[in-house]
Amino acid sequence: MSGVRILGIGSPSGDDQAGWLVVDALLAGGMQAGEVLVIEKLDRPGAGLIGLLGGADRVILVDAMQSHGRPGRLARFDEEDWPRYGHGLSSHGFGVLAALTLARELGGLPSRLELYGIEIAAAHPGAAPGPEIQAAARQLAAIIAASLGG
Amino acid sequence: MSEQRRSVAIHVPVLTRVEGEGALDLRIDNGEIVQLRLRIFEPPRFFEKFLEGRSYTEIPDMVARICGICPVAYQATAAQALERLFGVELSPWARAMRRVFYCGEWIQSHSLHIHLLAAPDFFGCSSVIELARIAPEEVRRGLRIQALGNELMDLFGARSVHPVGIRVGGFHGAPSVERIGDIREKLRAALPEAEALIRWAAGIAVPQDDQAFVCVAMRHPLDYAIECGDIGASDGLHIGAAAYDEHFAERHEAHSTALFSSYRQQPYLVGPLARLNLNHARLPARIKALLAATGLVLPSRNLFHSLLARAVEILLALHEALRLLDGYRVPDSPWVPVTPRAGVAAGCTEAPRGLLWHRYEMDADGCVVSARIVPPTSQNQARIEEDLRRSLLDFGLDQPDEALRLHCEKVIRNYDPCISCATHFLRMTVERT
Repeated sequence: MSGVRILGIGSPSGDDQAGWLVVDALLAGGMQAGEVLVIEKLDRPGAGLIGLLGGADRVILVDAMQSHGRPGRLARFDEEDWPRYGHGLSSHGFGVLAALTLARELGGLPSRLELYGIEIAAAHPGAAPGPEIQAAARQLAAIIAASLGG
Repeated sequence: MSEQRRSVAIHVPVLTRVEGEGALDLRIDNGEIVQLRLRIFEPPRFFEKFLEGRSYTEIPDMVARICGICPVAYQATAAQALERLFGVELSPWARAMRRVFYCGEWIQSHSLHIHLLAAPDFFGCSSVIELARIAPEEVRRGLRIQALGNELMDLFGARSVHPVGIRVGGFHGAPSVERIGDIREKLRAALPEAEALIRWAAGIAVPQDDQAFVCVAMRHPLDYAIECGDIGASDGLHIGAAAYDEHFAERHEAHSTALFSSYRQQPYLVGPLARLNLNHARLPARIKALLAATGLVLPSRNLFHSLLARAVEILLALHEALRLLDGYRVPDSPWVPVTPRAGVAAGCTEAPRGLLWHRYEMDADGCVVSARIVPPTSQNQARIEEDLRRSLLDFGLDQPDEALRLHCEKVIRNYDPCISCATHFLRMTVERT
């Protein structure tokens, strides 16, 4: 058993910190990282995400999303929801879904993978995340904690 | 059909699998190329203005932001130029670790380019995801090698993207003996993987091509030049960084925000194949033997050998990092004190994509009066256009639009253009009249 890995993905640009805020909320809520529960913030890992998916039984990924919806809206994506990727990849545009799709081709997905998105509005470098994003991050952290029996 | 063949215009609006965004416009009238322009949109030279008035202490961190793929190149080049101006003698430890740090960047950047960007072309795949279906072990190996390069950068730079390790005078900190011991194990374990990568790369069928071009790369009397050396060319030129301006010219072209460089009024090549062509005699014997076994004849005039050149340089970088980390000790201080002074100095290093040249004019307080940065992609831009022109004629201008576009992209990707240092995707528009 190599446990659970919670990965919050983001960047220091305004609402794009959503994934990091979930990690902050989990830790603030008393969740203890350790041998069997790894909790990490990632800054735009690109293809490097693939290596972080291995060796865990369950991986929970949280990232910001933009789908013209209400900022703060939560979504969970199952594998069949992943858009098909195959064209247009560059290392600059190698995002989470591209990494997951490549990992799937390489047989590198964990047996249990949960992908959450938080709808965001603005992602300006150096800006603070909006209050609705912070509230959504706390809400999602509670959902994740509950799913882990916390 | 014959009418179509005589008059063609192709615009590639989006070139995928390159670092950044650009476009290609191609117009063919009566069976002749009448327009071929690689357009680059991004204006990276604003960085030079950002640097004005900034202290020398800030420069390495600022220039690292120019590129997320090759930040070490920018840091190391800026530091080298400023150290030269300030009369700073790096400690042997710092000199060696600059090269190790740089090796990390070569390893990650080259592995990324080979596997994610270039290799799919040679297997009829549109992306690495398709490539992974037919060559999963090779893609896995590539990702492992890339991750190791990132880890090496992270070790000295605290992070692999926009690292913050280098300061003028050395490094901000020194990794512990334990962490170095750990990475040495990984580097050693990667050697056979990199050797296998070379054999795989050499076995990839590439188009036959034979073009005449001048290669420009740094040269060092002992080492395969990476972070220090003079500038050499395949026509015998040998100059110091300070003389670069006397031999190489930059000019604006209306269709591109990157400058075009020329040498004796001609395009020239920088990058892995230029380096390998000029410096293969400096490779360690073991790598020379491996390369000889592949049958590659050097110097090569086929740009499609660039992928193999990158594979060779990955193995070289692993060897160099291991050699320089042998007997590693934490120094008393990872940096030496620096006293700024007014003046002008230039520096150059070999970024993964080729020669990177910086020039700084500094005031007595150590603040930038003016800066110039010449990235490899702008040096290669005229060569890419020249190559495209020749390659398309060889390929056949009467090929279907899609085939022409794919061939153009394949040619461009040989150069691993970092369009963020000089553009993003290639947008190619095709017109047939």
